[in-house]
Amino acid sequence: MPCIDSFTPAGTLKSLAGRHLGTVFQRLSLSLFPVILSIAFLAGLISVTPAEAAAPTFTVGWSVYAGWNPYFYMAKSGILKRWADKYGIVIKVQRFDYAASLDAFVSKNIDACTMTNMEALDMPAAAGVDSTALIIGDYSNGNDAVLARNNLTLAQLPGKRIMLVQKTVSEYLLERAMDANGLSSQIPQLRLVNTSDSDLVGAFLGNKSNQIAVTWKPLVSQIVEQDHNVKSLFDSSKIPAEILDLLVVRTEVLKRSDGSGIRFAKAISGAWYETVAQLAGTGPASEQAISSSAAASGDSVASYKEQLRTTYLYSSAKAAAQFSESPTIKQKMDLVRQFCFRHQLLGQNVASVNDVAILYPDGSVQGKTDRVRLRIDSTYMRMAEQGRL
Amino acid sequence: MVLASAGTSQRIAEFDQVQLPVEIALRDVTVSYPLSSGNRKTVLSNLDLDILAGEFVVVLGETGCGKSTLLRLVLGQEFPTSGTIQVDGKQVTRIDSRCGYVPQKYSLFPDRTMIENVMYGPENAHSGWFGRLLPSFWKFRRTLRRQAEAQLLRMGLRASDFKKYPHQLSGGMQQRVAIAQALMMKPPVLLMDEAFSALDPATRASLQQQLREIWLESRATILFVTHNTSEALLLGSRLILLGQHCDDSQESNVLLDMPLPPFADTLSQRKQSVEFQQLRDYVKRRTYGPTTGSDDHQTILDNYERRETA
Amino acid sequence: MASIPVLGKLGDIQARPAKLWTQSLSWVLFLIGILTYVQFSIARHKENPEDRVVPSSAQLIQGIKASILEPAEEDDALDSNAGIVQRLTHSMLWKDTASSSKRFFIAVALLIPAILIGLHMAVFPFAEAFFLRFGLFFDKIVALSLLPILFIVFGIEEWSKIMLMVIGVGPTMMLDTYNIAKAVPREQIVKAFTLKSSNADVAYRVVLKQILPQVINSLRLNLKPLALFLFAGEMIVSTDGLAYRIGIMRRHMGMDIIIPYLLWVAVLLFGLDALLRFVNRRLHPWF
Repeated sequence: MPCIDSFTPAGTLKSLAGRHLGTVFQRLSLSLFPVILSIAFLAGLISVTPAEAAAPTFTVGWSVYAGWNPYFYMAKSGILKRWADKYGIVIKVQRFDYAASLDAFVSKNIDACTMTNMEALDMPAAAGVDSTALIIGDYSNGNDAVLARNNLTLAQLPGKRIMLVQKTVSEYLLERAMDANGLSSQIPQLRLVNTSDSDLVGAFLGNKSNQIAVTWKPLVSQIVEQDHNVKSLFDSSKIPAEILDLLVVRTEVLKRSDGSGIRFAKAISGAWYETVAQLAGTGPASEQAISSSAAASGDSVASYKEQLRTTYLYSSAKAAAQFSESPTIKQKMDLVRQFCFRHQLLGQNVASVNDVAILYPDGSVQGKTDRVRLRIDSTYMRMAEQGRL
Repeated sequence: MVLASAGTSQRIAEFDQVQLPVEIALRDVTVSYPLSSGNRKTVLSNLDLDILAGEFVVVLGETGCGKSTLLRLVLGQEFPTSGTIQVDGKQVTRIDSRCGYVPQKYSLFPDRTMIENVMYGPENAHSGWFGRLLPSFWKFRRTLRRQAEAQLLRMGLRASDFKKYPHQLSGGMQQRVAIAQALMMKPPVLLMDEAFSALDPATRASLQQQLREIWLESRATILFVTHNTSEALLLGSRLILLGQHCDDSQESNVLLDMPLPPFADTLSQRKQSVEFQQLRDYVKRRTYGPTTGSDDHQTILDNYERRETA
Repeated sequence: MASIPVLGKLGDIQARPAKLWTQSLSWVLFLIGILTYVQFSIARHKENPEDRVVPSSAQLIQGIKASILEPAEEDDALDSNAGIVQRLTHSMLWKDTASSSKRFFIAVALLIPAILIGLHMAVFPFAEAFFLRFGLFFDKIVALSLLPILFIVFGIEEWSKIMLMVIGVGPTMMLDTYNIAKAVPREQIVKAFTLKSSNADVAYRVVLKQILPQVINSLRLNLKPLALFLFAGEMIVSTDGLAYRIGIMRRHMGMDIIIPYLLWVAVLLFGLDALLRFVNRRLHPWF
């Protein structure tokens, strides 16, 4: 369409040039449009492959808990670096919120993660991510408790509101408490209110009509200190070795063809037992270890020691390895896996509890042999015991 | 209705004899407000004004001379810094239904149709919130609707437009509805703030004619604010010219306050009259500054009277 | 139509696309999203056939069926020959939708006083003097940080969640209504007084009636913050509700339930928005 400009000679030139440039620009930008679109599409298609650095790097995720805070100290004090250098690898330690650490582990953003045996079954195992428990660090020996006001007894719990984080060890503890007192039939009558741990203390203390809560230390300590009417009805010391705290690594990482996975396992085990030895020992190194671990979660040393009191630390590799090879662990894990299956934590459509199977150090399998998802590996604990790391 | 051609002074004399009541009275009214710089801006000072019942007063002036302020004082929307304003003998303290009001724009309720807008006032006057539930109200509404339709037709609107919403109407139609809305209450005083300034010349001429007919028929007191000299001279029976205020002086800024002769029967004839044009030029000159002694409106008015009586 | 001229029109403001183009183009992004997701899912499932983080379509369909037909975990199981309607009304999704909706709509009802306060603030000078400064300040309090106080005052049941929504969105609605009502031309209010209106007439019959469509539009925009506060409350303390279920499912990576729930919430909000838009247009043809 002719424009007015084009009727003058200068205008003609300008308009011709302008139109030509304009068209070129339009053509360019419009042909770029599908190109950009395809690039975005392709970017989505490219599946994430783990990049292997010059020296193999491994990330360990931890979250705040009495038995896992030492990872912070391990990294800070240089113990971890020493062991990693010994095996020619790099190990990084990263702090997460508990649920976020599990997410990261399942989506393969980190290689190893601290978690309880229950989560080891729920999250990675049930999601098909084959996982191996390298280290059994400790078990909760009173760290988790059922708290109630007004002198309530366990028999009086059904029908009342109970505040807890559902689908975690808290719910497990509560059910075991009912089982231990012959009240299993009443479990369906329990009214559970899923309460986030960050708000549980405030909500429980703030309103006296909230009578029952199930949670872990240090929240338990905070509640009991501030309200003397609240008593512990049941705690994990009555179910020893059922709530285990593990270091879990992805089995495929362990089985890497260049052997770097095995080197990682040795390094982290060695670092762990050195750290724990310091923690459980005496002297200035022990003080340093404890205060550093307490600082990891912002706790005071006294509060952290209080938490350690109710944590049964497997401070010697021998004890840990022995436990992992004993029949006790199989009994306890069975209780846990039955709980998980009952609450559909192994997967919405999992048909039987045996569909997520556990492999033990002696080769026995709990569940279907072709569906092993969780492995308990005592190799590295034994190596630590024998000093072969 | 055809006006008999009577001389100006005779008509003024008629007014005097009939002893018409003072409808609007302003006594020593000053309006000033503080500026951010610390000074005070005076818009009106020491204004004394009596407007008789039935007058069509046109307030003329440039922007910022206080003509809208004057209207708002009578309306009750603004309060003077000192002085009193009385309408129909009672002091003005708030806006109420003593005066009808037609602003330049935005005066129609957008959520009501044309006919509902016009029915709004009498409905309110008839019954409150609970009276609306009674059947007598609904019977009243039926008669009211017929009255409203008649009023709208008289204003020159078509029946096919009655159910339209204000945003569907042209500017001229909106102003017609606004005037009809005010007239439905039969107010003794009608205040019009640059009501025709936003319209095109043809619509304006038509509305001016209509307004004049309404005034002649109802003899309401009309206070009409405008900045258009021709319009002022066309419509009014009395002209008040306001000038810019000199901040320091205590004098009022009323430059002119004169009665206007009827000129001619129709507005178009009025425009063609020689005196009309002379007066218009005079008023325009006067707006921008004082005139010499020989150049005076009285001369023009006397000339007109002489010709009329001749 | 040759393809090159069409490409040329993509960057043209004056372009007039044919109906076919506008309809089909509006689905392209949906398609791209779905295809990208499917690619991700296939890639992850190739590595790990039981992956639950990016569920495959079969898993999603299973998840949808489980939500619609199966009762919630904490409820009793239905007997196997229950009719389809009974199964639907006892399902997890139904229960969660019902409890979340109840909280949501009670909160919306409680927003009405906020709207009325905003209206009064705009019209009555004394109300403005009383409410405005505090309202502006209170609006800036991040409602989520009040949650512990809400739990103490209202308990951990329904009211703390409802009040979280009201405190979060109420001041916004109030201030928005204030601005909308302030924009009503002064001439109309003056005119109304000359037409023998009382104060109540002006506030309700003149101003409120006019601003109602804009207020409804403001509510439409605030549906998302309302849902956000509801979800925050439910994820923190609850026994049931849409966000509660998502939070629980998250604990064991139940994305095959979470993703259907997400899409369901989006559909619900979209539907509510469309309903409000329809109601607005019907009630206020002049707007």
